[in-house]
Amino acid sequence: MRRIVGGWRSVDLGRYLGTIATALLITVMLPAVSAAGFTVRDQTGRSLTLPAPPRRIISLVPSVTEILFAIGAQDVLVGVTDFCDYPPEARKKQGVGGMVAPSLETIVALKPDLVVATSAGNGEAVFTQLDRLKIAVYVVNPTRLHDVFELIARLGALTGREAEATRLSAGLSARVRAVAERVASLPRPRVLYVLWPDPLIVPARGALVSELLVLAGAVSVTAEGGDGYPRYSLEAAVAGAPEVIILASHSHGQGPMVREKWERFTALPAVKAGRVYTVSGDLLHRYGPRVVDGLEQLARLIHPVRP
Amino acid sequence: MTRLLATLAALGLATAALAVAALFVGSAPVSARAVVAVLTGRGTATPVDEVVVLSLRLPRIAAALLAGGALAVAGAGFQGLTRNPLAEPSVLGVSSGAAFGVVLAQVFGLRTGLLEALGLTAFAFAGAFVAGSAVYLIAAGAGGLPVHTLVLAGVIVGIFFSSAITVLISIVDFDRLGGVIHWLLGNVAPLPPPALGVFAVVAALGFWLVLGQSRPLNLLALGEEGALQLGVDAERVKRRVFAGAALLTASAVAFVGPIGFVGLIVPHALRMTLGPDNRLLVPTAFLGGGLFLLAADTLARTLIAPAELPVGVITSFCGAPFFVYLLRSRSARIAP
Repeated sequence: MRRIVGGWRSVDLGRYLGTIATALLITVMLPAVSAAGFTVRDQTGRSLTLPAPPRRIISLVPSVTEILFAIGAQDVLVGVTDFCDYPPEARKKQGVGGMVAPSLETIVALKPDLVVATSAGNGEAVFTQLDRLKIAVYVVNPTRLHDVFELIARLGALTGREAEATRLSAGLSARVRAVAERVASLPRPRVLYVLWPDPLIVPARGALVSELLVLAGAVSVTAEGGDGYPRYSLEAAVAGAPEVIILASHSHGQGPMVREKWERFTALPAVKAGRVYTVSGDLLHRYGPRVVDGLEQLARLIHPVRP
Repeated sequence: MTRLLATLAALGLATAALAVAALFVGSAPVSARAVVAVLTGRGTATPVDEVVVLSLRLPRIAAALLAGGALAVAGAGFQGLTRNPLAEPSVLGVSSGAAFGVVLAQVFGLRTGLLEALGLTAFAFAGAFVAGSAVYLIAAGAGGLPVHTLVLAGVIVGIFFSSAITVLISIVDFDRLGGVIHWLLGNVAPLPPPALGVFAVVAALGFWLVLGQSRPLNLLALGEEGALQLGVDAERVKRRVFAGAALLTASAVAFVGPIGFVGLIVPHALRMTLGPDNRLLVPTAFLGGGLFLLAADTLARTLIAPAELPVGVITSFCGAPFFVYLLRSRSARIAP
């Protein structure tokens, strides 16, 4: 494979495959059932001891909800947020409100033995309140693509569905590899990814989307413009002379008007070539299994498959 | 008259110089030579340089000049109208009213096309009008409009409309209003030509309404009875100035957001040098406001490049201390 992908990209891919292996290893090592109970360490390194493997989980994270469904652990899921809209059956679970300030009353009434929360998205107050109420909280903080695989492994271990988790990860990583191999020898166009149009928010250093753009065979024009997902000046974005512009849609509205905003700049290579595309932000901004769908979609837009 | 011309010439020159300078600075690495090439149409400029200079910097400079001018004239108008030195669109809650109108319009999906820009302005004007009338009704007591009552009424109405905006944001899908919180801080964006056109026409109409009443506004400063004896139809003057100032506020809020304190700083700075004559104040405030907001916006887009600060943050940092200063020391002396 090194021969196919070549150069620095193989290092990147190699490191990434290595982390998958680590993630799978964690699966084996993670839960320690003893007489005292069931001890797990969450993604932030906090260790928590449960009397038994959790039977009633509330997910405050849409990607966690997606993963639990994908590994067939949906029966232990008793509550989800209003943003947990995938798969459609997730809507049938009891809602506990938004992500920043979910309803504590509803959470308590559901008698969860574990709440899965994220340090990026759930309000700080949620953690203190849940602690005060003596509800066990498992914190996840994914930031990179390999964290998705780690998350799948962890949730598989937590719900006793390791086999399904391993199978899911293997399928996903094969698809990631296929994308990386297809685009490896192709020229890499300059791409501007617009996470949010106004204020302009783009992926930069360390952002999942920046990583996906590289895997999809692009050079992100905003890759070095700050950390994470910074606010960015329109001027600096345009100055990157993007050859492809990718606009993230956010479930409703926004679509056509925002496109127009970019299509006004007819002198930009991307606009001249008619290469302004829309992708679903739900795929690319969530650390769930569908991120690979998002990656494949990105790769198809950046490197169209010619029949 | 010569003083007016001299001041207008000085402000005009300074504004023009800053506007040209602003074309040369920004987060995109466009060389000075490339900017000149784009502007003169000679020499070598890449298509990207053209987009940056002509589609981003130029309309943004125009929007900043228009919005600053509109807010400053609205401030001068409200100050003359209420005979109150602290009156100003954001202090009076009129900006919040206009902002509520704009958010409501966005709930209905209006954005920046020609018709949509008109609709947005209409909503903003309705909001500004309702808020302004409410402040007037709350504050107007037996003895005119006392300084503190007026400011309090403005604060109350401002809070009411800010809360109304929060309610709208809470009940409407966040995705449709996600940009609103950012916009509420005040941001000058490079407007597309149709929106810029609507902005210019509406602001010009408001400016004309206030300017036309600048002489009677001077007489109104003597008190309504005094003005009446000099043959001034006080009600008509007040209606026109109110409509003009509300239009100016509405246009600025609709296109750049509720930017605070421009209407306070600029008329007062001019009053300190030119005196209280509204005939001098109104036209110079337009240029002065444009100059001030353009300076603030140029800082906003260059200070932390490639990221940007909301321009409202900068005007508020300048304006809040100025407000305190006026409130504590000069409010009696430089009353309009």
